[in-house]
Amino acid sequence: MSYFLQLLVSGIVVGSIYALAALGFVLIYKASRVINFAHGHFIAIGAFTAYAVATSLGLSVWVAALLALGFTAIVGYFTERVFLKPLVGQPIISVIMVTIGLASVFGGLIHLTPYGSGNFSLPHFLPEGGVSFAGISVSYPQLLAVAFTGVFLAAFGWFFQRSTIGIAMRAVADDQMASMSLGVSVEKVFALAWAAAGLTAAAAGLIVGAISGLNLEGLVGIGLKVFPVVILGGLDSIPGAVVGGIIIGVLENLASGYLDAYIPGGGTGDVFPFFVLLLVLWFKPHGLFGTEEIERV
Amino acid sequence: MKNKWTLWALVAVLGLGFATAEKVHIMWSGAITGPTSDAGKYYAQGIEDYCSWANDTGYVAGVEFVCETRDDQYNNANTLRNFEEAVDRGDPVFLGYSTGGTLQLKPLVQEVGVPFIPASYHIGNIDPPDNDYVFLPIASYSEQVIAVLEYIAKVAPGAKVAMAIHPSPFGRAPVEDAKKAAAELGIQIVEVQEMAKGLDYTATLKRFENKGVQYIVYQNVAGPVANMIKDAKRLGLKIKHAGAHYAGGPDLLRLAGDAAEGFLWVTAYYMPHEDNAAAKFVKELGAKYGRPADAIESVHYPSGMLAAGIAIEAIKMAKAAGQKISPESTYEALLKMNWANKLAVGPVTYSKDDHVGVDQLRVLEAQKGTFVPVTEPFSSALFRKVHYGK
Repeated sequence: MSYFLQLLVSGIVVGSIYALAALGFVLIYKASRVINFAHGHFIAIGAFTAYAVATSLGLSVWVAALLALGFTAIVGYFTERVFLKPLVGQPIISVIMVTIGLASVFGGLIHLTPYGSGNFSLPHFLPEGGVSFAGISVSYPQLLAVAFTGVFLAAFGWFFQRSTIGIAMRAVADDQMASMSLGVSVEKVFALAWAAAGLTAAAAGLIVGAISGLNLEGLVGIGLKVFPVVILGGLDSIPGAVVGGIIIGVLENLASGYLDAYIPGGGTGDVFPFFVLLLVLWFKPHGLFGTEEIERV
Repeated sequence: MKNKWTLWALVAVLGLGFATAEKVHIMWSGAITGPTSDAGKYYAQGIEDYCSWANDTGYVAGVEFVCETRDDQYNNANTLRNFEEAVDRGDPVFLGYSTGGTLQLKPLVQEVGVPFIPASYHIGNIDPPDNDYVFLPIASYSEQVIAVLEYIAKVAPGAKVAMAIHPSPFGRAPVEDAKKAAAELGIQIVEVQEMAKGLDYTATLKRFENKGVQYIVYQNVAGPVANMIKDAKRLGLKIKHAGAHYAGGPDLLRLAGDAAEGFLWVTAYYMPHEDNAAAKFVKELGAKYGRPADAIESVHYPSGMLAAGIAIEAIKMAKAAGQKISPESTYEALLKMNWANKLAVGPVTYSKDDHVGVDQLRVLEAQKGTFVPVTEPFSSALFRKVHYGK
């Protein structure tokens, strides 16, 4: 039983990191219907900014993390202003191609820094070890991941339900033309969505960096992990991103724990969640919490 | 008078011609960016600096080496393009990188007859067919893993071992030989798990624990290995860890911190922190060519140097034999090579039937943040028996 519980808890923890990474992706899609293929690079920018600030300026990782969150949010904001704004009203495929191009540009820019190749470790900012209870062990970076996800989920929940800008963002997601006619600045909403996405991406980058070190390929790879998460949870649902992330994380762990022993070479953890994803989409094509869109022709 | 000036001009032109060194191109194609570039970046720097050193010291009289390190982004199509360019230019030797790229290029390498020295130590690179022109700088992954199994069998007879391998031909390379060697050594390989880079290895580790695994042997790169040994420490497991060349090294220490303590690592290279001629040479070159500390400390830096060194040594031998520098003469020189190099724990020796350069390996153990040798250089006693049946 403790084996199962350990797998379950580890799955929830890993799922929280996926959820954190997926939040920014969902924010952009929810506000602007843009699928951001450069999301993994935002994660990398956030993580490497924190590392650069902490190691070159000698600041504490917590201060560096705050600066990285702010910097990545600014990068997100200006990315929208410079590259996406001119594409408002253009076919969605053009916008998607631009985000693919942005991924290449960001990747190239990171390679111009000392962080494009190599493995880096954030300076220690959490105690060694972790928390153990009933034979289950969770490290401090993993606990931080769960805490970050909870904080961001609560913050965005409040933001979208209570704040004027959040409600404006929901309105824009619902109907851009109607929102504009009511005086909502759609451009401002789009830019803020990208800034918020940058913020959450940086948070995810920090957590991944604290757990597994900083490596460009690894960080960008986490950006790709969000695709099954958001498709399962629903592309435009923030709770869906969290639930989807946790389901994927738990399925990965349970599959690795119970199925790998019967498959030569193992690796079922990477595959099994996609089987479940296909099954879910069979019955819920818009994901578990995605908005069903009915087009009458 | 006019004839006298013409004669002087002719002498001057001929003199210049003789004084100008012959330019010899050596190309390396590998990952400076993209997957595995954490190793490729330093490997490339090692090649560049060894070439610069050879030029600065006039190591091969009358030859100026033009070494190009090309970033193929770990993409075989790019490797192929670079190789074709080198062949078309008439380069006498080519320095390769990845397992996939080398295995894919083998038939072409055989066809064009250009010696090929990869950074991948996959035994399939030098196994038939199409294996005449590929030369491994050091012992293969299979031999490395068997060597570490031999060490484990010595310190923990009858141990239960799991293998955690990269999900690729690179990772799978030593598995079959390791299984055969384990049977000979009386140790048990209870599971072979393919592991990509992930955020949590709890499930795999707990399963290994339930099976009574005492050692995990890694044929992987440092990133996933670091995550796994950190998770093992967090879970309080008593399992010990060991790995082949690319699994360990200073990168692992940096990524895993205290969790790396006790990690057993097998490699053929000397470490820059050791007190010997190899370390002195590596540090001198690194300082001379302005490399940062992390490059000098990386095992991939001397690895690149050794690859370039083998190529340059072969060209030197061809030149000394009075031959024109060409793929053919370089190949002939490689087959006769017995080079007491400064970088690895044994000499680089090749013959028609032996395409492994440095046959000797050492097991090192992570102790207080440094890899310390726990064996003298040795050759695996079992590798030839299990792989070649002799």
